[in-house]
Amino acid sequence: MRFLPHTETDRRAMLETMGLATVRDLFADVPAEFQMDAGSLELADALSEAGIVRKFTRASQKNRNASNSAYFLGGGTYHHFVPAVVDYVISRGEFLTAYTPYQPEISQGTLQALFEFQTMIARLTGMDVSNASMYEAATATAEAALMARRVTRKSRVVMAGSVNPRYRSVTANYLSRLEGEYVEVGMGQSGTNFGTDLEKVIDAIDATTACVIVQYPDFYGSVYDLAPLRAACDAAKCLMVVAFSDISAFALIESPGAMGADIAVGSGQSLGIPMGFGGPHLGLFTCKQKYLRQMPGRVCGMTSDVNGKRGFVLTLSTREQHIRREKATSNICSNQGLMCTAAATYMTLMGDAGLARVARHSAAALQSLLSQLPAHVSAANGARYNETVLSFTDKSARERFLAAARTQDIFAGIPLEQIDPAAANNHLLVATTEMVEPTDITGFLAALEVAK
Amino acid sequence: MINPDYKYSGTNGIQHEEPLLFEHAHEAPESISLPGVDGPLSDALLAFARKTPANIPGLSEPETVRHFVRLSQWNHGIETGFYPLGSCTMKYNPRVNEQVVRLPGLAHIHPDQPEDTAQGALELLYETQQWLGEISGLPYVTLQPAAGAHGELVGLMMIKAYLDARGESNRRKVLVPDSAHGTNPASAALCGMQTVELKSGADGRIDLDELKAHLDENTAALMMTNPNTAGAFESDIKEICQLVHDAGGMVYGDGANLNALVGVARPGDMGIDCLHINVHKTFSTPHGGGGPGGGPVAVNEALAPYLPVPRIVNNGDSYALVHSDENSIGPVLGSAGQIGVLLRANAYISAFGRQHLHQIAEDAVLNANYVLHRLKDRYHVPFEGLCKHECLLTDELQHSHGVKTLDIAKRLIDLGFHPMTVYFPLIVHGAMLIEPTETESRETLDAFCDAMLEIADQCEAGDTEMLHEAPVKPFRRRLDETQAARNPVLTWKEQ
Amino acid sequence: MTIPADLKYTKDHEWVRIEGDIATFGISDHAQEALGDIVFVELPEIGRTIDAGEAYAVVESVKAVSDVYAPVAGEVIEVNEELEGEPEKVNSDAYGAGWIAKVKMSGETLELMSDDEYTTFLEE
Repeated sequence: MRFLPHTETDRRAMLETMGLATVRDLFADVPAEFQMDAGSLELADALSEAGIVRKFTRASQKNRNASNSAYFLGGGTYHHFVPAVVDYVISRGEFLTAYTPYQPEISQGTLQALFEFQTMIARLTGMDVSNASMYEAATATAEAALMARRVTRKSRVVMAGSVNPRYRSVTANYLSRLEGEYVEVGMGQSGTNFGTDLEKVIDAIDATTACVIVQYPDFYGSVYDLAPLRAACDAAKCLMVVAFSDISAFALIESPGAMGADIAVGSGQSLGIPMGFGGPHLGLFTCKQKYLRQMPGRVCGMTSDVNGKRGFVLTLSTREQHIRREKATSNICSNQGLMCTAAATYMTLMGDAGLARVARHSAAALQSLLSQLPAHVSAANGARYNETVLSFTDKSARERFLAAARTQDIFAGIPLEQIDPAAANNHLLVATTEMVEPTDITGFLAALEVAK
Repeated sequence: MINPDYKYSGTNGIQHEEPLLFEHAHEAPESISLPGVDGPLSDALLAFARKTPANIPGLSEPETVRHFVRLSQWNHGIETGFYPLGSCTMKYNPRVNEQVVRLPGLAHIHPDQPEDTAQGALELLYETQQWLGEISGLPYVTLQPAAGAHGELVGLMMIKAYLDARGESNRRKVLVPDSAHGTNPASAALCGMQTVELKSGADGRIDLDELKAHLDENTAALMMTNPNTAGAFESDIKEICQLVHDAGGMVYGDGANLNALVGVARPGDMGIDCLHINVHKTFSTPHGGGGPGGGPVAVNEALAPYLPVPRIVNNGDSYALVHSDENSIGPVLGSAGQIGVLLRANAYISAFGRQHLHQIAEDAVLNANYVLHRLKDRYHVPFEGLCKHECLLTDELQHSHGVKTLDIAKRLIDLGFHPMTVYFPLIVHGAMLIEPTETESRETLDAFCDAMLEIADQCEAGDTEMLHEAPVKPFRRRLDETQAARNPVLTWKEQ
Repeated sequence: MTIPADLKYTKDHEWVRIEGDIATFGISDHAQEALGDIVFVELPEIGRTIDAGEAYAVVESVKAVSDVYAPVAGEVIEVNEELEGEPEKVNSDAYGAGWIAKVKMSGETLELMSDDEYTTFLEE
């Protein structure tokens, strides 16, 4: 077996050193009734390396993919450009095959990258501090709700109905195991109304509310002013939690921090991480400095070594499960460390200018598409970043369009009810990134002809 | 025989200091050429334009590469050297796994593209699901949990749902041995359940009397790790499961230590009802400096109805994701799982296959016992007997010389080895938990044992200064964690 | 290690100084030494009513965290805000500048030890 260094001679010699005859003597403490003979599991036959490559290549070829098709798919996962350097950096064994940096003297690479990551994420989101990642956006949103409950010592959570339905359902699921009220504020979306009705959200706040969770830009791509919500949260002494799906937006539009968020959480998948059929992605968690000690997850901090040289360590670990156990701020242990290094590399390559260009191209592609829409398709109104909802006369028109687009290698959108089961079946969630070329838009518009 | 000059591969040669990228003092160039549409934006959007840039410095491509490559060189990884972290299973991560998950047809697919255009991915995931069921002896599997701790939460949610469906909502007590990973009680709390700590017996194992004394009509589950965190197999496993079942509870298995059993014995056969599997341990997906991991959960028939959604199902000639099911505990992640991680696990199992899978556990257990055998006369062994995939020592014999576990760990760094897990489990003082894994050669094990024996010699000779000073060779020496925690500096601020 | 004679002590290594109906709380020299370098003290809110034996504060070192229990019941009237910036005062002056909170006593107390009894307790 090529991953195992021992020869049979090695094994025999090692056993002899211990005065044992066979390796199963080392399993004498495992009751015989539970021990299986070698080869008795129902698994496939072992494959050579070439066999593995063939198996995976064959499977991969059954999948249509974004390397040779146009993707207008969003809903939390976006096809942004991934520079070759990002994959190179995270393929380096020193990053790829290191454990959590518990021994800081020999983990300064991971730690400095995390510190740079935390700094850049805080700057991009306009928040004071960032942790060193959560799993992904939905669980990060749930953790934000839990943190707000700890900070305010109140338990009621208000969730806007325009937050990604997956973030909503995971958060509701987490909270349902604990005491306390969870309220979703429906927006009654239809027609061109897909967006956030902030007044309804504000009306749902009361004195027992721990936090209000909104998404910005919201699930439907709508960009809106959060100032009224900030004022309402101040009045009710509750926290304002802002979720986001495509962090690239904040190189172009005001950040959650500038909008007054106490906690901002979301996905960092857009920062150099491939779509990967849903993972591994990158959950981001940021907050105001004053709430730092209630933040979940690992954080990296700056310090110095015994020679006075600058260095980095994992810090504030008394918040975490391995010390505080059942009183920990979260049960999270493994996070998305490598994805932080990917995002740090990506942001370094891009800089302000590159990030702004990604955002501008992403938004411009949508604007180009919307400005040329035919009359038989309507688009949600109001400010949009790179995502919106198109509405067709009926489901059949939508399906005809999707099929026509596919024949041109265009994945033109996600049927809204696929992510939001409450939605009617004539809507399509459409997203654009800098990977959308002008010809893709031409093809998209041409395919719309069949939806008359 | 290795030339002694090369035996301890402590760092040498060129070591570069590298500033924070924020300190690279020059105006950022336009580094990346981007595709896409460069047209006008709507006024409605521009009304929300960001007023000040985020201040992300940006470096040219060659500078970016050099910056991160230099950072990487300050890191120790399993590719660099031995990494015997107990309970972490730091084994070699095959490069072919990295290659195949980067195939465009697996890397660049969207989770919401039509299912008929993602059949290859679903097929591989379905196969992974089935294999994990077969290996664990618990045939119903969710791939969704993103890490081990997430799997614990999901497993407890299922147990809670099962008990509630039986009208036993009073059962909220989770028994957790004092040797357990900290995630166990933290997960129970997150699931709205109360942890009751079980004191381990004198042999480091679950004490049956202690267990019996705490089992009652309010017990929801026992969470146990087998082999446990002291590296010992819970030989009373059958009786333990029987006792819990008789009391009306479920047995949750923390699969962090599955590497000791894979292909040799199955938790499901022993009476475990629900098990999470850390694929980043047993099935060799890279740890990445903290993650991503993967924590699929395997359950028996009683818990199967409560598995989270989406589920991957096989409809004869095609595969599909099922997004809702009436008894399901619901979604626990925004996607079907850490797909790239799960695919690597599939590739790892594929390489061993039916014929060789058992060799993982056999060699892992062989290696741990070999290390234990070589060190047991010079380091205190708190619990006598066989170990499984990891062995537990303490600093008791070194303590009288003024040397602690931390000093031993740091000295190992100077000798070219990543330290073992230290001060865990909590049930012994000065714990040193060593997990060599199956992918280490005898040569490496011997070199590590020689280093440990050399440290023991130095202690006994009173030559302890270098132990307290260690590490002296790496890029940074002992770091001031007190300063870091008292005045947390988590982001860079330009002066 | 010091154990001042004018204070009372609990089995959880807290000290209390009772002056009239005002009680000042802190943790003993033994406790601060066992915890190591204190990096953070979570103080109670002023006005909070606490029972005797209730956890009213949290003391953290780098690798350990410990609840601090009230030796006597009462209402919190003052907290040592200097600990927010300089938690190390608990290490350097456990019985003086490292005090944690003052309460207006409401009656109920834990079983308290004199300095001699606490010394004996530590020796056991």
